[in-house]
Amino acid sequence: MTEERIREMAEERRAVAERLRFFDAEIWLGRPEGFPLAEELAPGAVQDVLAKRFVTGGLVSHWRGKTVSPQAGNEALSLALASTSHKPCAACGSVTGTSGASEASGDVPVIDALFAVWTGLPLFPAEAGPVPGGVEPPSCARAVRIFPKSHNLPLADWCVGSLCDWLVQRNMPLFVWHTEIDWPALYELARRFLELRIVVETQTQKILYHMRPLFALMRDCPNILVETSNFAGAGFIEYAVREFGAERLVFGSFVPVNDPLVPIGMLIDADVSERDKKLIAGDNLRRLIDEVRQ
Amino acid sequence: MSEPCIIDAHLHLGPPGVFFAPETESAQLLARMDRLRIRCAVCTDDVTLFDVNDDCLIRPRQVFEQSGGRIHYLGVFDPRRPEASLRSLGGAKEWPGFVGIKIHPSMHGVPAEDERYEPAWRFAAESDLPILTHSWSASGYNPEQHLSTPERFERHVRKYPGVRFVLGHAGGRGTGRHEAVRMANEYPNVYVDFAGDIFCYRLIETLVASVPTEKILFGSDFPWLDPSANLTRVLLADVPVSAKRSILCENALHVYRIGAATC
Repeated sequence: MTEERIREMAEERRAVAERLRFFDAEIWLGRPEGFPLAEELAPGAVQDVLAKRFVTGGLVSHWRGKTVSPQAGNEALSLALASTSHKPCAACGSVTGTSGASEASGDVPVIDALFAVWTGLPLFPAEAGPVPGGVEPPSCARAVRIFPKSHNLPLADWCVGSLCDWLVQRNMPLFVWHTEIDWPALYELARRFLELRIVVETQTQKILYHMRPLFALMRDCPNILVETSNFAGAGFIEYAVREFGAERLVFGSFVPVNDPLVPIGMLIDADVSERDKKLIAGDNLRRLIDEVRQ
Repeated sequence: MSEPCIIDAHLHLGPPGVFFAPETESAQLLARMDRLRIRCAVCTDDVTLFDVNDDCLIRPRQVFEQSGGRIHYLGVFDPRRPEASLRSLGGAKEWPGFVGIKIHPSMHGVPAEDERYEPAWRFAAESDLPILTHSWSASGYNPEQHLSTPERFERHVRKYPGVRFVLGHAGGRGTGRHEAVRMANEYPNVYVDFAGDIFCYRLIETLVASVPTEKILFGSDFPWLDPSANLTRVLLADVPVSAKRSILCENALHVYRIGAATC
């Protein structure tokens, strides 16, 4: 095997990755929990890390939203995003039109925009601090994540329905780790709130053990989307695109715990059309963010 | 320009049972290998992990032959059934495509250091065959994994220095990886593959910096994982291209004694 051929294969992949302009639903700040070898991503390093992995921007979350409290996570996230060198939140504006539009300057591509995923709680009982329903979220907050198991709240209409209504009013998606839910409860919630886009996240353990309920859920609930950081079984992307359409997948990396090259590689090589690859790589997420009503 | 000889040194065949896998058959595997330009593979037929018997390696041999010599296979040693395992391994020793032994302490419920693995190591030494094992870190949510932490294999590794021994999954995502790295440095016969969802950020760069390059093997764990994930990580890793060539091809050729002519 020639080294020249290896270089050529690498260059082919690099070219495709740059063309697809990945927009990442799973960028994480703060100290990771449950991954002893993972290192924290410093806010100042976000742009460099993402750019080296072909990611042009995306949604940023903070571990404290799970490990400490939603309020602590939202506060830390606001501070961290304010300190990064990306475009200020207030100036983010529309990102749908950026696909393929912005150019790299020098070796490091420009980060289009970083937005925030706030951590949420039920609106009743009302809780103090920066949480949905308590104060109006900053303009860069374009999604809300809940941790039903960690924060001891049943994923049921009578408990989280008020938050779901709040999200529907803003056309804001709900994110949830698959490890934080029971599948029947998520099914009921998705059927109850048909206008609520729910993004099922594939971390922090293998989601492949749950592909049977996940695919059945996707079949019955068009408002269910899946992020791809650990959507890693052979043929999962092709199967999902064939059965449900590329619009149902959003690119996620789970950086810095995971390497963005994992979902990037899977998408580059997937046996789906170029249009579908672009949707999954970033356009689906850009559209979700753009459609949020401020 | 010649096509690359990429070897996926750790994958599986057959429906996994515990999850839905869209691609499980050899034809699907070959199609994916072709798309990714993977020339050869080393597989374990999942049936043999659960049911070792005299005939269990007939199907993988057929797959090898039908694949034109591209999908090589391992025979399983189940320490709970040593006689049946040795009969199966002995019968296949001279078969085309048979390249080594697979053990899986977590699946078989027998800790890696247990005496019951002794016949497998002896057979490997006498037959000049490598052993590939599942290895992982201790896990809070998957307690069986503690049976396969790398340091548990150490007494066998020391006793059989001539047996090429691959720590599959490189000790996993947790502290088991430190042990895998230590052993790959300490013992000339210990290798690591990074098959599976060891999707840690900059893993390839970390491994190349901490383990001799000739000790690292590319693997995917198909159909559990898509081979393009790990292949892309190697191809785009910030490591010398000579290291990529070793990882993708040469090290597997050496460990599994796959004929260079195959590539």
